[in-house]
Amino acid sequence: MSSSATINRSSAFSSPRVGQRNWEYATLYIFLAPFAVLTALFGIWPIAESIRVAFTDSYTALSDSPVYVGLDNFRAVLAEPAFHSSLWRTLVYTFLSVILNVSMAIGLAILLAHPRLSRGRTFFKLAIFLPVITPDVASFIVWKWMFNQNFGVVNQALLGLGLPPFAGVTQPGSAFVTLVLVEAWHHVGLYTLIFLTNLQLLDKSLDESAQIDGADRWQRFIHVTLPQLRPAITINTVYALIEFLKTFTVIFVITKGGPNFSTNFVSYYAYSKFNSAQYGEATAIATILFVIVFAVVAASYWYMEKGDQR
Amino acid sequence: MSDGAVTDQARRSAVRATLESTVLYTVATAIALMFVYPFYWMLVSAFRSQEAILSAPLRLIPEHLDLTAFQTIASIGGTPLSSFAFNSVVITVLATAIGVCATGLGAYALYRNPRLPLFTSVRYSFLLTIMYPHMLLVIPLYFVSYKLNLLGSTLGIILVMSLVPLIFFIFVQFFRSVPQEMIEAARIDGASEWQILTLIIVPIAKPVILTATLVAFLLNWKQWFPVMVLSTGPETYTLPVALISLNTEYGINFQATMALSTLTVVPVVIVFVLTQQRVMGSFMAGAVKG
Repeated sequence: MSSSATINRSSAFSSPRVGQRNWEYATLYIFLAPFAVLTALFGIWPIAESIRVAFTDSYTALSDSPVYVGLDNFRAVLAEPAFHSSLWRTLVYTFLSVILNVSMAIGLAILLAHPRLSRGRTFFKLAIFLPVITPDVASFIVWKWMFNQNFGVVNQALLGLGLPPFAGVTQPGSAFVTLVLVEAWHHVGLYTLIFLTNLQLLDKSLDESAQIDGADRWQRFIHVTLPQLRPAITINTVYALIEFLKTFTVIFVITKGGPNFSTNFVSYYAYSKFNSAQYGEATAIATILFVIVFAVVAASYWYMEKGDQR
Repeated sequence: MSDGAVTDQARRSAVRATLESTVLYTVATAIALMFVYPFYWMLVSAFRSQEAILSAPLRLIPEHLDLTAFQTIASIGGTPLSSFAFNSVVITVLATAIGVCATGLGAYALYRNPRLPLFTSVRYSFLLTIMYPHMLLVIPLYFVSYKLNLLGSTLGIILVMSLVPLIFFIFVQFFRSVPQEMIEAARIDGASEWQILTLIIVPIAKPVILTATLVAFLLNWKQWFPVMVLSTGPETYTLPVALISLNTEYGINFQATMALSTLTVVPVVIVFVLTQQRVMGSFMAGAVKG
């Protein structure tokens, strides 16, 4: 079948090799076309559109003759104290969440990788990963009610243990803490899984020789295990940075930015601008956040490249 | 004498090992329960009356199966529950099918010849897209859908949701393991591109296609923000979006919220528990590559 096909096709073109090559390329273009169209229509175009709208007057943004206002939207946003505090809050939140999630994930991974835990390891992994994959809207709503003063099990449990009640989302400080905890519950499973993969690749002989040299558990963890976890720490930190910088769903579901704007993070702030038809300001904020995320990703790639060369 | 010392030592280390195992299992079980408990509480609360929950929030087993919540959510804001469920299934299944085909073929073309004109720009365009904060991409997607006249249509929502970044990395990871020599050999034998794809690639790619389909299904099922923003009314809402509107508009009805949450979560839990190895493995692969 194959040889005759080649002969037939070769004879169809004056220059068989080139002809076949062109046809082969054409097929590859056809294979790529749907993906390219989807990326262009629902990726590149909206990003370009977002940047364009950031430079237009909100009232005319969607009309046929938009009025361009230069950097006015950026200036307006950057002059707002509300934007400053929301950016500051987002950065603090991201910083705390990244540290909490990455260190918790290391602890969980080391616990789950323990050789004595062979039976039931699948169940433990399943339990910790379940929140990652289930609809976040549903689990955040459940958490919102768990912190509720009347129905909530959190306060009921605290009272049962003789501890003071937790204000949950009713007060600025505790609302912030609530979001950190709920988001950690939601995300830590993914980071744990990545650490578990890394732990499987550890060089056991290093640990054994350190043990022979008389190093205790803690010393072995700090000087033997942790340095070998560096790839997973880097990946997870970058992942968590991106994830928490754009925190949105949990705010939308649980606090709506409140109370008293204490959880009004950048992406939610941009959304509320969009929702009140302030398209120019909304996309200006989106562009600023994009630049921050892009800078973080670029810096971490640079850092990883540098690490590889060492 | 030395014999006794040895057995004594052995016994002591055996006791130590048992103690260590007990502590480890207790800690691990407690942590696992903390992760699972919210789902359990949701499930139990869906079947308990409001008064019952108020009087004993921590009760683990319902007094009796109270089904009023499910009757309450049979219609939400005038739209029947079946409409939301139908939308969820149709949008998730079609977005997954389109996404897996387009992304799989795209990743394959990029693997076959990454240096063709425009191929690199497509790759970079895609990487740029996934770097853009997804929630904020939805705002300009609203403008784009408006211009394409897709606002409020199921088709628009499906197309927007069909690009699932993780799927691309799952395919890229897989194609890296396919030796180019195998394809070269088939080409020398005179196989056409179409034949190479259908006779060689698709058969060996079956497991990865299955994985990608599962992951895309799970991730699309939980999508809510694009659906909410690109809808013009409840007729295109999916279950998570119905849950959002229940949360904002009828937030007082706790039991109904728990019932709808249960309906949204249960299909995912079933699919995930049945396919956990595959799903968790792909998340790791995707993360390492991403």
